Formats: sequence, C-alpha cells, structure tokens
Amino acid sequence: MAKRVYIAGAGVISPLGTGLAATEAALRDNRSAIKPLTLFTPLHGKPLPVGQVAELDECFPLPRTHRLALVAAMQAMASSAKPPDAVILGNTTGGILTTEQLLKDKADNKALYRYHGLNTVTEFIAELLGCHGPAITVSTACSSGAAAIAMALKMLRSGKAQTVLAGGVDSLCRLTYFGFHALQLVDREGCKPLDIDRHGMAVGEGAAMLLLSTEKPDHPLAELLGAGLSCDAYHPAAPHPEGHGALMAMRAALADAGLKPADIDYINLHGTGTPENDLAEAKAITTLFAEPPPLSSIKGATGHTLAAAGAIEAVVSVSTVVHNLQPANTGCLRPDPALGLTPLSQPVTKQTSAVLSNSFGFGGNNGCLVITKADRFAMPAAAPAVSGLAIHGWACLTGAGGTEATMSLLAQGKTVDGMADLNAISKNLPPPLVRRLKRLPRMTLSLAQAAHQNSGLTPNPASVFLGTGWGALTETYDFLTRLSDSEDQFPSPTDFVGSVHNGPAGQAAIMLGATGANLTVSGGDYSFEQALLATEMFLEKDDNTGLVLGVDEGHPALSPLFDFSILPGTPLADGGGALVVSHNQEKALGCVRLLFYESSAAPRALDDLLTALGGVQTIGNKYRLLLVGIPAGEREKGEIQLARFMQQSGCTAPVIDYRRLTGEFASASAVAAVMAVSFLAAGQMPDALVTGDNLALESAGDTILVLGLGRYFSAMEFSRS
Amino acid sequence: MDKLIAELKVKIIDILNLQDVTPDNFDENVQLVGGSLGIDSIDVLEMVVMVERDYGIAINSQEVGEKVFSSLTSLAEYIRDNLPGASS
Repeated sequence: MAKRVYIAGAGVISPLGTGLAATEAALRDNRSAIKPLTLFTPLHGKPLPVGQVAELDECFPLPRTHRLALVAAMQAMASSAKPPDAVILGNTTGGILTTEQLLKDKADNKALYRYHGLNTVTEFIAELLGCHGPAITVSTACSSGAAAIAMALKMLRSGKAQTVLAGGVDSLCRLTYFGFHALQLVDREGCKPLDIDRHGMAVGEGAAMLLLSTEKPDHPLAELLGAGLSCDAYHPAAPHPEGHGALMAMRAALADAGLKPADIDYINLHGTGTPENDLAEAKAITTLFAEPPPLSSIKGATGHTLAAAGAIEAVVSVSTVVHNLQPANTGCLRPDPALGLTPLSQPVTKQTSAVLSNSFGFGGNNGCLVITKADRFAMPAAAPAVSGLAIHGWACLTGAGGTEATMSLLAQGKTVDGMADLNAISKNLPPPLVRRLKRLPRMTLSLAQAAHQNSGLTPNPASVFLGTGWGALTETYDFLTRLSDSEDQFPSPTDFVGSVHNGPAGQAAIMLGATGANLTVSGGDYSFEQALLATEMFLEKDDNTGLVLGVDEGHPALSPLFDFSILPGTPLADGGGALVVSHNQEKALGCVRLLFYESSAAPRALDDLLTALGGVQTIGNKYRLLLVGIPAGEREKGEIQLARFMQQSGCTAPVIDYRRLTGEFASASAVAAVMAVSFLAAGQMPDALVTGDNLALESAGDTILVLGLGRYFSAMEFSRS
Repeated sequence: MDKLIAELKVKIIDILNLQDVTPDNFDENVQLVGGSLGIDSIDVLEMVVMVERDYGIAINSQEVGEKVFSSLTSLAEYIRDNLPGASS
C-alpha cells in the first residue's frame, strides 16, 4: 500500500542556536556562527574557525554527542505522546571526544569508555524515549544524517514502522578538527561556500531530528517525499570530479519522490566550501537542471556539522517549505563563475513547495532528500513488499582463515577464534588498492572479493551494506597516537581518512565499481543484523546483486577498553562474514530474512519474538538448527533468555552457542550467518558440533535460525530453496 | 643534493607504503603525483606533513604543492632552498 511520510516534529541544535525559531532567526539575519574553537585548546597554532554549539548543559555525565542528540530528540518529540517505533540516527563521532581525553590520561577503567560506540548515542535516545524497536546507527561520514532519514523513509513505507525518529548528530572532537585540518580542507578565514576565494570548510557540530510518521498528524509540518542514495566508487575522500555520484543521488531522490527537476523550488546544497566539493556539486546540478532553481549552502553559517549536517539541513528545509524561507549562501561574496550557479546572496521569502537537500560524504557516500509541503504532490508509488533476500554467494573470515579453513575446523568440532592473519587476507587483493589500508578495510575487501567469487556471478554487486561494531580501530588509534605524540602538530591525513566507519564500504565500492546505495551501520553486537535490515530496505529490485557484510577488527589497545565482551584474559578475536544477495531467487542457494530485531527490555519482548517467528507450533516444526549468539558481556542474562526461549517455544532443535567457537567480536553474528549458509550448502550439520539422528539439511525448506540474545533480540532465518 | 634525494626516497617509500618500489628503482625525475607510482592527493598531504615535521618547512598552498611535488628532484630542490639557514 502506498503511504505518505509526514514530518510530525522537528528538533535542532546547531551553532546557530537551539530550536527551529532560533535557527530560522539566525538564517533570516544571514549571520555566520563560525568562530575560533574554544571547546579544547590546540597545543600549537591559533585555534581554527569552527561551528561550535554555544549553549549546551555541561553538568550532564554523558559525552557531548549524546547531549546534543538529547536536545534535538526532546524538541522533535515534544508534541508526541508515545515513543517512536524506531530510532535511526546518523553519527560519526559517538563518545570520541571523551575517549580522546581518557586515552591521553591513559585511563584503563573500561566503564569510563561505555559511551564510546556510535550505537550508544542512538540506544541512549531510544531508551530514554521508551522505544524498544530498532535503534539503528548510520555512519556514512558527512551524509550520515541524510542517509539515516532516507532509511527511515524506506522503513516507514515498508510498514515495518509507523513512526520513526530520524536524524543526525556529531560533536566537535580532536579527530575531526585535526583530521580535516591535516587534509588541508579547512578555511582559516571561516567558510565561503561557492565563493571564488573559497578555501575549505569549518568543522562543526550539532544535532537535528525529524519525527516521521505514516499516520497523518493533526498538523503535519511537511512531507518527506523522497530520498536517494548513491556511491561515487571513486576515491576515499575526494568527490568524483564530474559529480557523477552527486548526480545519481539527486536523480534517485527525484525519481523516488515522483518529481521532475522543474518541480524543485529550492536546493539546499551540500556546499562545504572546499574547492573540489563545490565544483563537483555544481557540475551535477547544471547537468540535472536546465535552469537551476534558487539555491544556497548554509554551511557558511553553521560550519560543516558532519553527520548532523544532512539532518540540520533537512530541518532547515522544513522551515523553507513551512515558512517559505530560502536561506542565503552565507559567506559567499563573489560567486565562482566556474561553477555556473547563482547562490542566494540574501535570505528570500518565496512560495516554496519542494526542496531538494544534498549531502555528500567521504567514501563517496551520497544522500539526497526531497522535502515538500504536506499533501502537495501525488503520493509516491507503493514500496514493493520484501520477503527475504536470495543468497548467491558467501564468505567468512575468522582466526582460522577464510571460509574453507573455517568450515573445515568447525566440521572437526574445533574453534575458529583468534585474529585473522593479515598477510593471508591481503594476498589476493590488488596491491595499489591496499597500499594505504590497514586491518578493517583489508578484511572488508577480502570478504567482498571472496563472497563475490563464491557467487559465480559475473556482474559485480551494485550496492554495499556494511555493519561494524567498532569501525577502523587501528586507524583511529594510530591517528590519535600520532596527534598526541606530536603535540597536535602532525596528524596523519591518511589515518584520518581511514578512521571513518564507512571507509571500508567505500573501498569495497571502489574495488567493485558499486555505484548503488552504500550504507555503513554500527549496532554493537547486532551490527550485521542492522546491515541486513538496511539491505532489505535499500536493495533495488533491478540491482544486479548487493553485498551485505559484518566485520570487526580486534585491536590490542582499544578492543579491551571498548568491548564489554572482552573480559580480562579473553584472547582477541576478529573477522566477519559477507553474503551476496538479490531479489531474484533463480539459482540462489536459499533465502535470508531478518524476522526480528528489538530491545530485550521490552515488556513482552520474548512473546513478540515468538510471534515474529510464526508462533510456538511453527517454531517447533520449522527450525532444524539454532545458532545462538550470546555476547560474553551478557552471558548470564543470555543463558536465561535462551532457556526461556527453548522452554516457551517448545523448540527441540540442536543449539550451537557460536561465540564459543568464533571468539568475542561485535560482528560475530556475520560469521554465524555464513556458518548457517555453509551448512545448508553442505547439506548437513557438522556432527562434531551437534548430536541427533537427523543432521541432513538437504531438503527444500530446511531452515536454520540465527538468534541474537543479550541487550537485543535478533532473529535471522536461513532457508534452503 | 644526492644525499637528500636518497634520504627522501627511503622516507617516501616508507610513509606511503609504496609496493614494489625500492630506492634503487625509484626514478627521482619521474612524475611523482598522478603517475605510475599511484600517488594521489592524500599521499601528497602525508608528504607535506613529513616535510614540515622532518625539515621544518610548511607547504600550505595547493599551487606551491603542485610544483614542489612534481618530482622527487623538485621536492629535494625545494627543501634545499627553504631549509632554515639556506642562502636564498
């Protein structure tokens, strides 16, 4: 059924102020909030201009990102009496500002790092609002906020949720402040997007959220009519020089909204103020629009708030359609004639029905949104129902090695824990491509290559969905260590580019030429499940195939501090898994479905899980094998949950407690997924791991359940065609 | 000058992790950026940091950077001419 997605509430905190009214007032004044950094003191050099939030309650014992998110969430939810069904937030910094200081102080109490993970921001907001549904964290660098809103749109249209709180948040931190400076992308004199004399961006911070609903509110602010994602598949940090990716994302958003370019009244540009970004974006716009509508970038006013930017600009787009306010391109005095655009030099009040808002990021990850006056345009076409994804190829990586080595040890009943061997991983990867890559991206590329080869399909996967609990720890650690050792003087640009969570998926896109949707999500121990959910939402019917991965690296210094499942004395383990999937069951081995993903703290969580699996009778008959994931940090709770599940479901299928085999790492469930697929492909369960009379898995319909326990309940079902 | 070039070869191979390149087969006159070595804009910035850290010379503008990093020889010349205490 076709559905409209209404914007029922909006919240924003940015360098311009707190709330929609303050934000709008600052935009009407055409005022820039960019000022020299005061949040922390660089040991060398004058503080650079940044977009820093002025008013933020400091007495709260949470990292700054969480506090920014809280302010925006409370505003967006102000008029809603019930919690949203899901929370989807874009985020790249998590608790890193706090972590940076803790690492400097050599703090080793892991409780202090408990808010480090990106997912903790989303989960904190979800818990606070009483939302027990999916809490998804999207991390696609500077397009995170737009991508999160795009995912919310898909989820709402699919009927998996009726209300979603979606947006983005990032705080200033040393990583982004010194990282962008090391890339020479910061304008020392502020930020002048589209100006002939532009020299870069001003790193910023903020948060913004939209409450989206398929139930029409009494007073909808606006409508989210469409969204489009794409990937440049060109370079880890620089945009495609012709703006190909930007063009594809804008086209996809317009097509999704059912609009023509001429329907757009105003474009809220990405417009970071770097010479390359503005040129690439301008080329894309002049290609798509015969006569571009009025347009501007607000980043000369706010600075570039990174993961928050797409969300802040979505909220500003709401103001644009509600109050017909087209903001000025603050900071631009002399538009660069090479761009062929005329940005608004002053704020304009003009009837505006439809806004296109652009966001582009590292990894070539692009996201565009179409925001319109409510009910102004025809309802977009209904979303096709997704009933599972066809599995064509698979690969895993563990301490034992690749898929074959892993399955061979498992068949003997042996464990596959430990760290994957980096040299073996790198062996088949193109040397020029991996020269600069450290552990996580190499693992990702190796998995992508192996899964694609295993599929035996000629066309490369067109889209990439990656889940990672902790991102690129080596690059993050190396960046911060060199920054600290050189007293803030010589941060590594290479490590900064590599440190972003979406770096590995961007590299995979470059290797595969995958220019479709490219999404990185981070959901702690449920990161692969989140990636699978993203795949169900974004994989197009006509795409060749998509690649869904879960991957995490073990890092000797950081993993024991961050991961609550790495208890004292636990040896490090890492690895991941990848599936090549499509909507075409032809020649597929079988099918994967994400049947459930909700907080185990929900009052009826277990009942809801049992219902989602088809009810007691179905569970007893359907599942031949259970692969159960209990993170060590949740062992006690998880054992009880498992006992209750077995008791209440009446399920008698054999159980493999897979973390005992894989070791402890966030995306171990991706390895479990590949174990399930491999067992189905082999036609039997390994008798060294399970006992029983009938271990054959040869019949069509034979089904394995991969169950995640602990803080969340997740259920992935793998069935043979 | 030769000593400086030899020193830079070792440093650049190391910081950029250039595969299959050795100081012996690293031609100091070959195009450094965008050529067969596969060196791109991020590598240039990594070299900028190295030049500042190891030689105390800042390269802040793209125009200067493009000239300086056109080859290993031009980089060595720039460092020699701008070293603190250089005659020019």
